[in-house]
Amino acid sequence: MSIVKKENSLSKWYLPGILKGLGITFRNLIKNLTSRDEMLTLNYPEEKYEYGPRFKGNHVLTVKKDGSLRCTACMLCATNCPADCITIVAAEHDDPSVEKYPINYEIDILRCVFCGFCEEACPVDAIRMGPEWQVPGVNGASFINNISELAYRPSLGGGIKTVLDDEERIKGGI
Amino acid sequence: MEAKLLSEHYSDDSYIGLEGYKSKGGYAELKTAFKMKPEEIIEVVKQSGLRGRGGAGFPTGVKWGFLPKNGEPRYLLCNADEGEPGTFKDRVMMERAPHQLIEGMIISGFAVGSHKAYIYVRGEYMDSVRILEKAIQEAYAAGYLGKNILGSGFDFDLDVYRGAGAYICGEETGMISSLEGKKGQPKLKPPFPAIQGYLKKPTIVNNVETLAAVKYIIRDGAEGYRKYGTEKSAGTKLFSVSGDVNKPGVYEVPLGYSLMDLINNECGGMREGRKLKAVIPGGSSAPVLTAEETGRATMDYECLAEMGSMLGSGAVIIIDETRCMVDMLKVILHFYHHESCGQCTPCREGTGWLEKIVRSIVDGNGRLQDIDLLNRVAENMKGRTICALSDAAALPTMSFIQKFREEFEFFIREGRSQVKG
Amino acid sequence: MPKCTVNGIEVEVKDGATVIEAFMKTNESIAHYCWHPGLSVAGVCRMCMVEIEGNPRLQIACNTPVQDGMVVYNNSEKVKEAVEWTLKFHLINHPLDCPICDQAGECGLQEYYMSHGSYDSEMAERKVKKHKVVDLGEKVVLDTERCILCSRCVRFTDEVTKTNELGIFNRGDRSEIGTFENRPLNNKYSLNTVDICPVGALTSKDFRFRQRVWFLKSFETICQGCSAGCNVQAYYNENGFYRVKPVPNEEVNGHWMCDEGRDVYKFANKEHRLVSGIKKEDSGLSHMAPGAAAVQLREDLSDTKKAALVLTGQYTTEEYLKFVDSFTKNYGNEVYHWINNPKTFDDFDGILLRGDKNPNTVGLLRVLEGKGIKSSWADLEEKLNSGQIEHLVVAGPENLAVFPDLEEKVTLFGQAQKLTVLTPVKSKFYESADYQIPMKSFMEKDGTFVNHKGIEQKLGRGPIVVSQALTLLDLSMILDGSDFISVNSASMGGSL
Repeated sequence: MSIVKKENSLSKWYLPGILKGLGITFRNLIKNLTSRDEMLTLNYPEEKYEYGPRFKGNHVLTVKKDGSLRCTACMLCATNCPADCITIVAAEHDDPSVEKYPINYEIDILRCVFCGFCEEACPVDAIRMGPEWQVPGVNGASFINNISELAYRPSLGGGIKTVLDDEERIKGGI
Repeated sequence: MEAKLLSEHYSDDSYIGLEGYKSKGGYAELKTAFKMKPEEIIEVVKQSGLRGRGGAGFPTGVKWGFLPKNGEPRYLLCNADEGEPGTFKDRVMMERAPHQLIEGMIISGFAVGSHKAYIYVRGEYMDSVRILEKAIQEAYAAGYLGKNILGSGFDFDLDVYRGAGAYICGEETGMISSLEGKKGQPKLKPPFPAIQGYLKKPTIVNNVETLAAVKYIIRDGAEGYRKYGTEKSAGTKLFSVSGDVNKPGVYEVPLGYSLMDLINNECGGMREGRKLKAVIPGGSSAPVLTAEETGRATMDYECLAEMGSMLGSGAVIIIDETRCMVDMLKVILHFYHHESCGQCTPCREGTGWLEKIVRSIVDGNGRLQDIDLLNRVAENMKGRTICALSDAAALPTMSFIQKFREEFEFFIREGRSQVKG
Repeated sequence: MPKCTVNGIEVEVKDGATVIEAFMKTNESIAHYCWHPGLSVAGVCRMCMVEIEGNPRLQIACNTPVQDGMVVYNNSEKVKEAVEWTLKFHLINHPLDCPICDQAGECGLQEYYMSHGSYDSEMAERKVKKHKVVDLGEKVVLDTERCILCSRCVRFTDEVTKTNELGIFNRGDRSEIGTFENRPLNNKYSLNTVDICPVGALTSKDFRFRQRVWFLKSFETICQGCSAGCNVQAYYNENGFYRVKPVPNEEVNGHWMCDEGRDVYKFANKEHRLVSGIKKEDSGLSHMAPGAAAVQLREDLSDTKKAALVLTGQYTTEEYLKFVDSFTKNYGNEVYHWINNPKTFDDFDGILLRGDKNPNTVGLLRVLEGKGIKSSWADLEEKLNSGQIEHLVVAGPENLAVFPDLEEKVTLFGQAQKLTVLTPVKSKFYESADYQIPMKSFMEKDGTFVNHKGIEQKLGRGPIVVSQALTLLDLSMILDGSDFISVNSASMGGSL
């Protein structure tokens, strides 16, 4: 950034600049007092800012139609994660058409850098970065999110379903 | 000009039995052959220019010459697994003249020094098996088979083996696998069967027609046999003509005979006077000929090879103007997809892929790039596998597209056949 | 000895060798699935296409014998296109379930797709559906959709184990590998089929879904399971060892190893290991550092008049040399060899498996012979029964599974007034011992195993699981009076 300095006689004096600045402050004070709707500042936490739906915040594990996890425990997210914050334990599923699924999926949200690489790496659209961004917690352990937190937290209303489901995929011969 | 050599007495019912066969000069050549030395017989067969009648057209005498010269036990196998769509001449030969084949096999067995032979008959040919088995019993009883045949000191045993219905068992090494009791899959070459075949012993595999023709080469001598046919394609050949002609059937004509004459003279012309559109001259695996090419074609190995097709097993399929070539290719490809043994990847996956593409064109889901894709898939299946089944699917595909491209394009654009409306 | 030129490199091969063997000799890369140096030639994958000068048709390298003066190459455009197409044929019906496939990361299809493929699929039609998660036997799971029908596994059961459990069923693109009814794949070498499977069709139940292969590191060592001394590759990460696979060695194990040997990594993992020295005191068991326990043992032994040593064939030759030396120097010539299964000791199954379930029996016998020690087990039993042995030191086994007589023998050893057990692994039978001193496992130390043929093979040291555990070398230094553990011990390596 370059700063353009005007070289004239007025700029030698500080007072005009200060008064000009105070003028702006005063004008906004009056404006905010008279028309509060246009004010940009929010009274957090009573008021919260709504980010766009594509904001990359807290992770969501998506679910299939029957509500079970989409994740197949391929560990590509864990492989791709630069912060090494994803831990997955895979197991054999009773249903041979599912074959492999995670019995444990943890994200250490304090180590996460919200880069979105996990989302990029996922071959089955099982992990997404959602619009939520507030992460309160009482101690370190409460920042390690497990499956119930990632897929079924109350704010998700029973989990996010993806558009393409396995049934349709198999029907389409893919 | 029907030249009746092998098929002279086929219309005579008594020719099936031993007595009738003998009364028509049967087993006379066997006696002549026993007076010759085996090497002389091989030399005569070489001189006669007899080429394999099963499809590949390899010179028979040369094939026999590949056998090792030691006294190792060896086998003679008769390939009667006639599976090529359009071919039915071997069936006629076995059912009308079983002794002709048996005599030809004894002579050939004597020539190559084999004491054990099998006739591998296609599984569906129940009648042929029955007739052959009866004829073999007659021959054993009359002393033409078994120990010390006709006092010559030559032992020869002959058995019939019924296949289980796989096209691929008509390929010589596939047939050997099947005879050995294994899954009918072609074997890697080298080693060739003449060196290591049935039960790892030297083995000669010949077609029914080839073996039967040996009898007539002995009768007429190499020169006598060469009277028929052309310089490089000597002798006569049985053609199985099917399709849109008035009189489909098996016809014996000398090699080098004009294809149009075969259609118009022997087969009585096109059915209902329709126009000829195309001919597949050598079984479904042979590239198709257009009507214009058919006019120029003569039925011999060289002329058809020059036209990019082949004589194959002599199965002439006549196609008239009402037939949809896309539909036809679908049927052909379905056959090869179904019959691929699944050993080599290009054939296993490629035959299925080709069928699926053509099927989606027929179903109206074709894309214009599919024509090019079909061509490229076929191109890359050709010559990349152990046996020729992958070529058998690839060659018709490529020739159908090359010669009837506008029909394929029409089908894809309009979603319906150009000829059927 | 015919000579040929492979991609411009002249190479001389054995008589009757094939072109692919010439390629292997020059280290020129050649794609192949069905060819395996330990099996017969099938020639079905059609990947090893080569161009031979003077032959217009491409040939497969695996079934073309080298002729003198042959000029072969596989880097021409024609060959490259052919290989790419063959790969396409392999992949059109592949389910592409790499995310749940254990082979991902070491898969032949992935590898060649990256090196020979990298195209977009033109297959717009439906793929062939086949059976998934087929249970083949106790150890192996089959996925027929991933299978490329290279027939390596079928040939393995046909030619190596001669058990013929596997076969290819059906025809064409419906072909599937399978077993016959009531004839599961349960031979003693079944897991080799998983190793030779170039794709993820055959997977090991033991390793299935436990780890992605790219998270694993590996090192080469010698199998500890029996006296065959198979060369193996052990795979591990920070959580422990996960699997072992055979490493080809024509002199020892060819290309294979047995299923029993696949379990040798298990007892080296932390959950089976003794991690601290234990001394039995009047007040109960007291835990201490292994070195401290060893020092106390030395002090205890110093006032003993009749001490004896029992050795199993599970330690390295170097350890035996030094330990037997310092034991006999300090406490006399009472050294005995514990044979775990005398009845089946000399058995051999004709392939690899030996009845002697110790990796270094020959090494131990050589050391005992060198020291002039001739002792019989009957002597030891008699002396124990008559109470002549005050303190018995036992260098116990790592692989408890092959010591069926463990309980019986430990009870016998208990007749000595004092019993010390040196052991890498925990066992409830050792609880009566006065001292238990943790030892390093074979994965964690250098040294030599001598196999049944007398071939000496060096162990490759892997990561350390129990860093304070001792080797017999460390212990002999302590018995000799040193309170320091030599830098020569295994504690140098990295730890898990």
